[in-house]
Amino acid sequence: MAMACRFELVLQGENEPWLRAAGEEALREIERLEAQLSIFRPDSDVSRINARAAGRPVPVEPRLFRLLERSQRLHADTDGAFDLTVGPLMRAWGFHSGHGAGQPDEDVLARARECTGMDLVELDPSARTVRFLREGVRLDFGAIGKGYAIDEAVTILREAGVERAFLHGGTSTMYGIGSPIDEKAWKVAVPDPLSEDGEPAAVVNLVDEALSVSAESGRSFTSGGRVYGHVLDPRLGRPVQGATLAAAAGASATTADALSTALLVQARPIELPDMRSLIVCRARDGHARILNGGLATNSHDPAALSIPTAAS
Amino acid sequence: MKNRSDRTVLSRRNFLKKSSLVPLSSMLAGLSAEETRGAAFANQVNVAVIGFGSWGREIADTLGRIPEATVAAVVDTYDVMLTRAERSVPEAATYADYRRVLDDDSITTVLIATPTHLHKQIAIDALSAGKHVYVEAPMASTIEDARAMAEAARDASGQIFQVGLLSRSHPNYRSVFQFIRSGALGKATTARAQWHSKESWRRASPNQEREQEQNWRLDASVSTGLIGEVGTHQLDPAMWFLGTRPTAVTGFGSTMLWNDGRDVPDTVQIVMEFEDGVHLMYDATLTSSFDGAYDVYGGRDSTIMFRDNKAWMFKEVDAPLLGWEVYARKDKFYKETGIALVANATQLDAQNIEATEDDPNLETPLWYALREFVDNHAFGPYPPAAGYPEGYQAAVVAIRGHEAVMNRTRIEYDPGEFEV
Repeated sequence: MAMACRFELVLQGENEPWLRAAGEEALREIERLEAQLSIFRPDSDVSRINARAAGRPVPVEPRLFRLLERSQRLHADTDGAFDLTVGPLMRAWGFHSGHGAGQPDEDVLARARECTGMDLVELDPSARTVRFLREGVRLDFGAIGKGYAIDEAVTILREAGVERAFLHGGTSTMYGIGSPIDEKAWKVAVPDPLSEDGEPAAVVNLVDEALSVSAESGRSFTSGGRVYGHVLDPRLGRPVQGATLAAAAGASATTADALSTALLVQARPIELPDMRSLIVCRARDGHARILNGGLATNSHDPAALSIPTAAS
Repeated sequence: MKNRSDRTVLSRRNFLKKSSLVPLSSMLAGLSAEETRGAAFANQVNVAVIGFGSWGREIADTLGRIPEATVAAVVDTYDVMLTRAERSVPEAATYADYRRVLDDDSITTVLIATPTHLHKQIAIDALSAGKHVYVEAPMASTIEDARAMAEAARDASGQIFQVGLLSRSHPNYRSVFQFIRSGALGKATTARAQWHSKESWRRASPNQEREQEQNWRLDASVSTGLIGEVGTHQLDPAMWFLGTRPTAVTGFGSTMLWNDGRDVPDTVQIVMEFEDGVHLMYDATLTSSFDGAYDVYGGRDSTIMFRDNKAWMFKEVDAPLLGWEVYARKDKFYKETGIALVANATQLDAQNIEATEDDPNLETPLWYALREFVDNHAFGPYPPAAGYPEGYQAAVVAIRGHEAVMNRTRIEYDPGEFEV
């Protein structure tokens, strides 16, 4: 268990002890990364950064620094829909507790908004440090951490010589190395939560590719006569209706994870090179509207792995 | 320095709760501890990490949190590890041959994290080349090798030689050691430790030749088994706390789960007899993760448990009162109540942190060991807390323990064998 979810690997090959060894090493790497990224562990690298970076530039380990740089670029590419600094805002709106807690106190909200925004995070590549331009800024890798861990685990598996494997974290971010024996691809069915006949929104064929699915968590709520959605938009500083489900696929699980989050917020396609996506929205009449960014198919494949519809 | 009259008067209650370890920074007005320390280093300490498996990488990562040290080079005979080094330590030069760093005068120090049976040659060559050396524990895989290393370290008196026995530099272990020395246990009567982790211990690699090199732990001709590789780290603090050496060890071992052709048992037990009659029972297994790893030292008046680098004391009902315990922080473990023995208990309380949670004020054990090692370059050389005598002693104890396991027999320790 890591990142509050279950990571599972399926490895195919001739030599079971060797496969198991490779799998163990991949899982150890995932645990290592959780130890580094978790905001729930006071001794993690990220907790240390969050505690100190408002005061002075904090040195960052090279791989984590690259992830920070990548997150900055993804923030720009998604027009701010993906944002690492969204933590205080999520807490203000009660997202961490699982359900929207209703309209937060004005002061709490104002303060949270003041420390939201990747522009408040300054990276110095030559010194490899990070600095916050304001007190109260907090980095939270929840929207990209699983993808990152999976990419690193895939590298380890490949270095060990594994050619056929499927791994996922919490059933929401996954990667297929090669294809299963006697099959052309690792097939995954992306559910359509609004479908009346249980048809999936897409069946995705993964061959050396990642897929990430983001779904709504909790329900929209009404407060002060206003309806608030279930997806937090970092730019508006409040929950919005967003999409019901968003999925992104491509070579990088890190990008797919961030992109599926951004698509859930945006509810409109976002073009990123070499990424395919789809968005399931609730139209005004209550029916599903699928916005196809290259991922949606109409075929139904009984052999496909199904992603559970409950949000992970 | 602050004037005495400026100091806040500590109430008796606070005084009794305070740790005996006063943070350095509170004694130096104006300068932070970090600034004071940095000023003492004339030059950056350029190091090479030799062996970039998972622990070598951990060492490199930890050195990233020690500003006075720079990892200038990484050595590994396996190209995949060097690729990983390029990812995690991009500024470091990478080599397949450790002699390249020994020839480099700009590198003053090496840290050795290769397979255990390869430590000796590298350490001795490094000492001959005038380098300071940090070597992982167990120090070596045979007593002859460990002795050769210890003698070389002894003779290289101007050079630092530190062994990776991490408890020796950990603040929590140190404060408890003093505490035990003050008689808190009463007479020690029992000792028990375990290490349980369900894993195969096997490493994967894409080709057959590399496969064997990677799996030195599973090869009886070079491995010191669970007692050596894992047990060393628990047997060393046991000897430190009990204050005596073992006189004999009896071992058992079997392969209960991982029947993959290995000849090193995956489940072992040893009973170690000490000079004053205490027996330490130690068990380690790769077949079950239940209850992880911990050490328990029992005495007439109380029992002290170490777990995750934290310690608790469980008092007997008829033991004398210590006074301060009334104010101390207590934690329940099933039906037992333990008094937390941490160096900064007051601080944790103020931050509302539970005893079993991770302490944000604490660094990893490896960090404390490497901090001390690096500090020695500016402030020393002084004998490290885990120097060649401690490293050699731990190696002898563990290697004979492993032998006892492999031969399913009782082995008596020869006191002469401990002398260097």
